[in-house]
Amino acid sequence: MANVNELMNGWGFGKQADILTANTLAKIWRHTNLNTKPWAKVPVNEDDRAEIGKGHEFPTQLFKSHYNMPTFEISKYASSEFLAWAMAFSLGNVVLTGTGPYQYVIVPALGATNPTGLELPYFSFVQQIRPGGSAILDEILVGCAIKGWKLSIKNSPGRASAMCSVECVATGQYTSPSGITLPAATTPHEFNAGMVTMLTLNGVNYLTGGSGKQFVSMDASWENNFRPGFFPGSGTQDGYQIQGRFEFGDRVFAVQFVVRVQAGSTEYTNLINQTTGSATLTMTRDTNNIFTMLIQKMGFNVVELGNTDGIATLQITGVQLYDATNGLLTVTVTTPQNGVCQ
Amino acid sequence: MTVFLESPQGDEIKEVEATAEKLSPLLSQGWHQVPAPAKHESVVLAKEEK
Repeated sequence: MANVNELMNGWGFGKQADILTANTLAKIWRHTNLNTKPWAKVPVNEDDRAEIGKGHEFPTQLFKSHYNMPTFEISKYASSEFLAWAMAFSLGNVVLTGTGPYQYVIVPALGATNPTGLELPYFSFVQQIRPGGSAILDEILVGCAIKGWKLSIKNSPGRASAMCSVECVATGQYTSPSGITLPAATTPHEFNAGMVTMLTLNGVNYLTGGSGKQFVSMDASWENNFRPGFFPGSGTQDGYQIQGRFEFGDRVFAVQFVVRVQAGSTEYTNLINQTTGSATLTMTRDTNNIFTMLIQKMGFNVVELGNTDGIATLQITGVQLYDATNGLLTVTVTTPQNGVCQ
Repeated sequence: MTVFLESPQGDEIKEVEATAEKLSPLLSQGWHQVPAPAKHESVVLAKEEK
């Protein structure tokens, strides 16, 4: 028996050479995770119940089918290290500069021009409980990718005011024991809502000035909508078929935010006039830890009057438009962590 | 700071200032980072206008 608190998670901050080649220890970091569940492996068997000629309708034999790997959530308080990792692996086109701190400029890769086509970078995921001679759990999942993420900023105290959760997928390929001795847990440089230094959405500055007291919360999310990766030659593990690639489908970038209503609120006007503008969220912990999400062109899809904890509010659903010059989204992260997605 | 970007067609390398403003238009068109060329004079460099 083991307490789940003993579960250690580590994963590649650097990318795998290809989907089949696990990260080496040098490119693996260890982090805590607010998700308390291990990443389950689900091999699926099938049987012959549908086949006639047996003289009855009952199954008589089992057959190995495939690894049906569930998605796995890494949920953390937002930090420069984790945001750099999440954005780089989920969006795909990454530029790294600096000698410490390091700056990452990240945009969504385009399938037509991405050197790896519709595939994003892959990483390995290690999970261990009492690794060693009598390990309860010790395995490395190879060929993982980020399916999507959610970034939440809200009016509340503490670390939970800025959260990022990442949904990951895996092919089914693994090695056990992992052969990895996880390093000490990384100490992330976390942000919180108090560190927001720029918050301008479609022309309205929600941090200072006349709209400085309006902001309540913001949720941004990304979804890669991976296509199923089973195909001839996709591979096997323990005799079960595994997925051999994760190709993004129609990606979705969603942004919702809630602001208090005040006299002269321009959100309705922006909706009706179909006004568009850029949107910028910046969190600054110090000169070494800065996160900026620049949405190049945002309009509003819905502006709905409501109530948040007794205050009249507007819930706004943004439409993130692809700008002909600057694209959809540019994320810039400054962090002490080198080698993310490299 | 500058970085080197390669065109989507692989036929051009640019040295670009590493700011979101300068990088966004190129990255969005599919340019991607490459290591600095060993000999700058041996490649066609289109230095970004400042």
